[in-house]
Amino acid sequence: MPIWLELLVLLLLTFAGGLALGWALWGRSPARGIEE
Amino acid sequence: MMELVAANWWLFVIALIIGIAIAWWIFVANRKTRVVSTRPDVLEEGSAPAQRNQALIDAPTASAATAPTAPAPTPAPAPAPAATGDDLKRIKGVGPKLEKLLQSLGVTTYAEIAGWSEADIDRIDAQLGNFAGRIRRDNWPEQARFLAAGDEAGFKAKFGAV
Repeated sequence: MPIWLELLVLLLLTFAGGLALGWALWGRSPARGIEE
Repeated sequence: MMELVAANWWLFVIALIIGIAIAWWIFVANRKTRVVSTRPDVLEEGSAPAQRNQALIDAPTASAATAPTAPAPTPAPAPAPAATGDDLKRIKGVGPKLEKLLQSLGVTTYAEIAGWSEADIDRIDAQLGNFAGRIRRDNWPEQARFLAAGDEAGFKAKFGAV
């Protein structure tokens, strides 16, 4: 496995982790869609 | 692998920040447009649809609409209500059950029914439960006007034998 591919996979995983963190922070709220 | 991460840690920080930023944009900044596009809750529609439906329910049936309209009876002055109340069952569409229900609501005489306004009808109708809609369907106020005036002939002509 070339090193750049390993780096790319790790970066994608980190990116997905960021998305998951954002979802946990703002997307999971039950108030979404009810307020406003 | 750890050397790879340690050597490029800033790349991972950037990837994480981009991920969080995109999630924030999806779940926070973009929220308004998605909420606007959702169907409003039925409870937020107000009473207008319910009133419209009730109006459709209360509307005269096709046969009633095509029936020849009898000359409107002259509203005779209601005689003093009898102390014991009238036999409300003589009104077409009122049976023993409805009579009891009406008496429990304080309605005991023809004169009271004859004097009902639209608002009164709505108020009483709302308390009739399964019988809701009967007042207008069977035209109780007009029947009661005949009965209160003692106009048996007029009642018979319009609503049939008592």
